[in-house]
Amino acid sequence: MKPLTEKIRRVAAEALAQKDIELVIGWQKGDFWWQSPPLFIDNTDAIEKLIWDPLCVANLSKYLLEELKSKKKVALFVKGCDSLAINRLLQDKRIERDRVVLYGLPCNGMVDRDKIEMKNTGNIDRVEWDGNELVMVGEEEHRQLLENCLYDKCYSCRYPNPVLFDQLLDEEVTQRDTARDRFKRVEELEKLTYDERFTHWSHHFDRCIRCFACRNVCPACNCKDCLFEQAEPRWLGKATEPSENQFYHIIRAYHVAGRCIDCGECQRVCPMDIPLQDINRKIIKEINELFGEYDAGIDPNEPAPLITYQTDDPVGFPES
Amino acid sequence: MSVATNEKTWEPVIVAFCCNWCSYAGGDLAGTSRMSYAPNVRVIRVPCSSRVSPNFILRAFQQGADGVIVAGCHPGDCHYISGNYYTRRRLMVLRSLLQYMGIEPERFQAYWISASEGQRFSLVMDKVTEDIRALGPNRKLRDAR
Repeated sequence: MKPLTEKIRRVAAEALAQKDIELVIGWQKGDFWWQSPPLFIDNTDAIEKLIWDPLCVANLSKYLLEELKSKKKVALFVKGCDSLAINRLLQDKRIERDRVVLYGLPCNGMVDRDKIEMKNTGNIDRVEWDGNELVMVGEEEHRQLLENCLYDKCYSCRYPNPVLFDQLLDEEVTQRDTARDRFKRVEELEKLTYDERFTHWSHHFDRCIRCFACRNVCPACNCKDCLFEQAEPRWLGKATEPSENQFYHIIRAYHVAGRCIDCGECQRVCPMDIPLQDINRKIIKEINELFGEYDAGIDPNEPAPLITYQTDDPVGFPES
Repeated sequence: MSVATNEKTWEPVIVAFCCNWCSYAGGDLAGTSRMSYAPNVRVIRVPCSSRVSPNFILRAFQQGADGVIVAGCHPGDCHYISGNYYTRRRLMVLRSLLQYMGIEPERFQAYWISASEGQRFSLVMDKVTEDIRALGPNRKLRDAR
């Protein structure tokens, strides 16, 4: 995949040469070899830092909210899930399409560092793809099958290719067969009794440290003023109290209902490993069943299901 | 709200969000017609059922409610033309989410009660109170402090 990194650097340099584009957002190698954090470049000197490797999982689209306040035009690289996030922001009228330049990168799934065999690897200089293997090149070369070390969310990815881009930088890839099973876990949880479900979720929510990483990373959580930070009324208290955590998680999931693009970033960034995607997917599943199939982040002009209605909607409350 | 959760003295606490134009007026009619309904229900008047945010419902549970009712105009009769159509969609999703989280469906119910349905208002309030009484005190989502 080395040639693609070169292509990315060339494209970024060309972008910066254009008059209007003031910033390019991409990825760089972090302090540790298993990190590929975002890189913000506004001049061609830093172009050599740009990379594209199996660890470029971070979604760059939400940085647009901040960067577009001062920059005329921003160029960035988008994977399939990131392009859905761009559509999310467009639909929420938070960014303007003509101020963003998108370079699409088809993606076969990103590597979860927790699943890499880290024993005795020594120093690693770079991580690369090689067919169906992950190659870690350092003093020695280490190989591992890619299929065993991807993020969970990538196995159920339905949009490996960007749905929105100005230029596609690589050949399109095919969707995994496992993408069809995305509601499997939700269906399992639905089989539990109410008390078992509550115990299941309490067990997860009790760990929450309310770092708000899931909210901060979420492209659907793009309100200027977040309800969880509101002082009056103070919906969310500061105490370490199970009910506050439950309140936070139910409301967070509900606020993205009908708008969640199912990118799984919330679950990926959670330091306490709370399976947040299981909640979002339940809502997606429910909306699909009640109001018809809806895929958030595909068409920014179609109204989200919870901001519209049909007079013949199902009643849903058997007792009423 | 201080709540006795002692099994013997326990009485269900039910919060009912009633829309100003239909359900609250329905409650008024029940009153002026001298119909009785369960005293366990605390009515909160809201301008429209779509004013009821999920925050309100969760806060009610947090602060000691054993059940929550949202009552609004019949679909098609909304004073603001379409408010309750939005409510219907939102609350259906919220209700299945709460069920998924382990809250029994009886704990959160929605009804359409018009201003002329005083009797229905009193029947609904009685029925929900009985549902909740059968389930017992709610401890889920409750603030333990």
